[in-house]
Amino acid sequence: MNVNLHPKEGILFSAYLLFFVIHGVQTGVGIVGLPRIVFLEAKHDAWISVLVAGVLTSIVLWFIITMLKQYDSADLYGIHVDVFGKWVGNSLSIIYMLYMVGSFFIIFMNYIEIVQVWIFPNLATWQLALVLIFLTVYAVFGGIRIIVGVAFLSVVGTMWILVVAFVPLRYADFSHLFPIMNIGFGELLKGAKSTTLSMMGFELIMFVYPYVREKKKSMKYVQIANMYTTFLSAFVTLISIVFFAGDSLKATIWPVLSMFKIVRLPNLERFEFIAVSFWMLIILPNMCLYLWAASKGFSRVLKRKQKTGVWVFAILAFGATFFIQARYQMNMVTDLVAKSGFYAVICYPVFLSIIVLVKKWWTKRRNSHAKAS
Amino acid sequence: MFKWMSGKKTPEGEKAHSLQIDELKEQLKKELVACSDLMFRTLKRNDKKIVICFVSSLIDKTGVDDYILKPIQENTQSGWSVEELAQILPITDLTGANQLNEIVMALIDGKTYIYSEGEPFGFLANLSNTVERSLSHAETESLVFGPKIAFTESLLGNVNIIRNNIKDPNLCMEDLAIGTRSKTSAKLVYIKGIADEANINTFRQRVSQLEIDHVQGTTVLGQLIEGNSWSVFPQLMTTELPDRITLALMSGRVAVLMDRSPDALYGPTPFFTFFESTEDVYMRWNMGFFLRILRLVATFLSVLLTPAYVAVLTYHYEVIPSPLLVSLGQSRSNVPFPPVFEAFLLEFVIELLREAGARLPTKVGQTMGIVGGIVIGQAAVEAGFTSNILIIIIALSALGSFTTPSYLMGTAIRIIRFPIILMAGFWGGIGIMVAFCFFIIHLLKLDTLGRPYLAPIYPLNLKDLGYSIFRFPSQFLSYRPVTNQPEDKERYSAKKAKEKKDVDE
Repeated sequence: MNVNLHPKEGILFSAYLLFFVIHGVQTGVGIVGLPRIVFLEAKHDAWISVLVAGVLTSIVLWFIITMLKQYDSADLYGIHVDVFGKWVGNSLSIIYMLYMVGSFFIIFMNYIEIVQVWIFPNLATWQLALVLIFLTVYAVFGGIRIIVGVAFLSVVGTMWILVVAFVPLRYADFSHLFPIMNIGFGELLKGAKSTTLSMMGFELIMFVYPYVREKKKSMKYVQIANMYTTFLSAFVTLISIVFFAGDSLKATIWPVLSMFKIVRLPNLERFEFIAVSFWMLIILPNMCLYLWAASKGFSRVLKRKQKTGVWVFAILAFGATFFIQARYQMNMVTDLVAKSGFYAVICYPVFLSIIVLVKKWWTKRRNSHAKAS
Repeated sequence: MFKWMSGKKTPEGEKAHSLQIDELKEQLKKELVACSDLMFRTLKRNDKKIVICFVSSLIDKTGVDDYILKPIQENTQSGWSVEELAQILPITDLTGANQLNEIVMALIDGKTYIYSEGEPFGFLANLSNTVERSLSHAETESLVFGPKIAFTESLLGNVNIIRNNIKDPNLCMEDLAIGTRSKTSAKLVYIKGIADEANINTFRQRVSQLEIDHVQGTTVLGQLIEGNSWSVFPQLMTTELPDRITLALMSGRVAVLMDRSPDALYGPTPFFTFFESTEDVYMRWNMGFFLRILRLVATFLSVLLTPAYVAVLTYHYEVIPSPLLVSLGQSRSNVPFPPVFEAFLLEFVIELLREAGARLPTKVGQTMGIVGGIVIGQAAVEAGFTSNILIIIIALSALGSFTTPSYLMGTAIRIIRFPIILMAGFWGGIGIMVAFCFFIIHLLKLDTLGRPYLAPIYPLNLKDLGYSIFRFPSQFLSYRPVTNQPEDKERYSAKKAKEKKDVDE
């Protein structure tokens, strides 16, 4: 397998689109429940926790991009082979692929759960899953340019929801925020760790990187995207804290949707119905990108057609929907993916990039020694 | 498959016709199978014979009398050799020919063949007379403002209009023949130095590589050469307005004109081009801006209003505030059907009205308005078939779809409403979103002449938004639309335009 990937000039996309890709894939189902999850750990300083998490992910992103810059145009699958050799590298790639299929799975399963709770209690899981998977497969077959387009339109097309998020501020009680920073540093970090589910997604830069036209600019746009996501998450968390009383926030599983309930227009009430429907557009790029990245691995590692990979993973994910019957199972799987996500997204890339950097430094030193002698 | 059984010989390639006039007649009669209007006029003088062959239905008879027969008969002192004939015939379009195939094709084309016995070749004279309608107002793309002239079925006339619109020596017209059997003549039109070579090549290649017996016109040609023929969205645009083609050519697009077709095909035309009207350009910019936004909003509503009604009334009545819900409930209280069925019924009626209106002669057309407006609208509500509110919504969305300047796109928009209504009936808002996501992906996947279909939006091109979705005042449009990749990028010098005069200068 080639370490570097050289796609045709025509399918490369401009670096600024990375902003939409990374931001689009970071915001998904996670952000709906984010305020409560962080609040459970970090109490009223949850929003600071989110900011801390943003700083941490930004550091991780720096590591990832620096690692990618060591290569000409490589993705994670190539780097694995380069660093660990064929067998170990490919095995690690397959594990990573499984993690991504897992993410793909929990994204649409969580969305379906939201739909079932808020709109259609009797909707069969597999029906909506089938439609969502079909949409994803249809998009993924179009290739990375279409997927980036979906991410772009999704971010642009759902920006107006942010305006709606200001409405709950009318009922805000800012005294909920005080006293600021009286929570232990440990709790703050714990809260930051619990944001993984809504922060993860940026690891996909390791797969789309070869398709960026101006690779030098990618660091800038990826960092901006991460910053924007962080501020958005922190903003949403802040609003939830000032809007809900502490105990009720603990009991509200999807505080963001619950806040939308109070939005009221002259010809429209119960805004959360529209928000839940619209959330499909938000999760669509996530599903597409995860399925695309996993199926890319299928073609890179197993040397099969990528289309086969798309079908295999789509059918796998669809089959898995039948095993999840109850809320607690869904919770378990989500937690599992979130936990493994913490290692796959935060720890592992840093570890890998350190190895890559050391390796580069080592070969450089050896070469210069060889020249000198 | 059974060619060898029919016993027909394949036509031989290059073959000069017989030098004997009688044999020549026989040859022509054989080639032009059962052509009863093939006529010969033979003149004799001093043992020398001259024959004039033509298809009588295609030529201008007085022209043949005045410009061929008369000079030959009157110039008694000159002989009938090729050189002498060329001197005495007062015809501009006169070419020598002696290949049988060429002559046959020319006769079908409406030319006249003059042959003097024993000479090595004869003359093809163009005295054809094609039946044409005169120039008239644009019918399908009607305008309030701006030039009213429209293309006709005559290729020559259409080329004339375009050449008169753009008096640029770089305006190129390449000849193309479309259809392996019908060989309709067509022209690839572009401005060299503005249009992108890649666009020209794609267009030329797709048209010339077409292997089909006959193409019924530019609209069909567009369907044959576009990227995705499964899609409901047209990917190349046809128009009957010469000024629209002029604008397109000047912004670096490429057009194809076809004989016998009153529309010109042009591309690349991204999605939003179909919502542009030339009127936006002729109007003051702020009016054009407003109209363009109005049209886009109308289209959006046209697609979404009825499905939203179905979704809300079937599943999410919590969304409607209670005062509105009361009036909705009252108006629906007599209706025994579920909202999907109700909506489908009424949409169907509207489509029927539209289709019947389009098929009927204009004199009867007025009756349609009365039938549609009063009988169906009023009676359907009173009979308890539909609710008043749905009638308003359906009327709005029908109106919205008619604001689209392109008839094809308007039809596409009316058609995609039906699956969305169906999805709304299944899953309410979620269903609408599923359909919406599907169309987004679908539009992203389409291309027009190999260029992205959603062009100035994705890939985002902020500069071109002023051309497509909005309409900026012309001082901001010093460049040609980047999406067409024009070679000459500037329309006028932006620097010069920005120079400002001092007070009292």
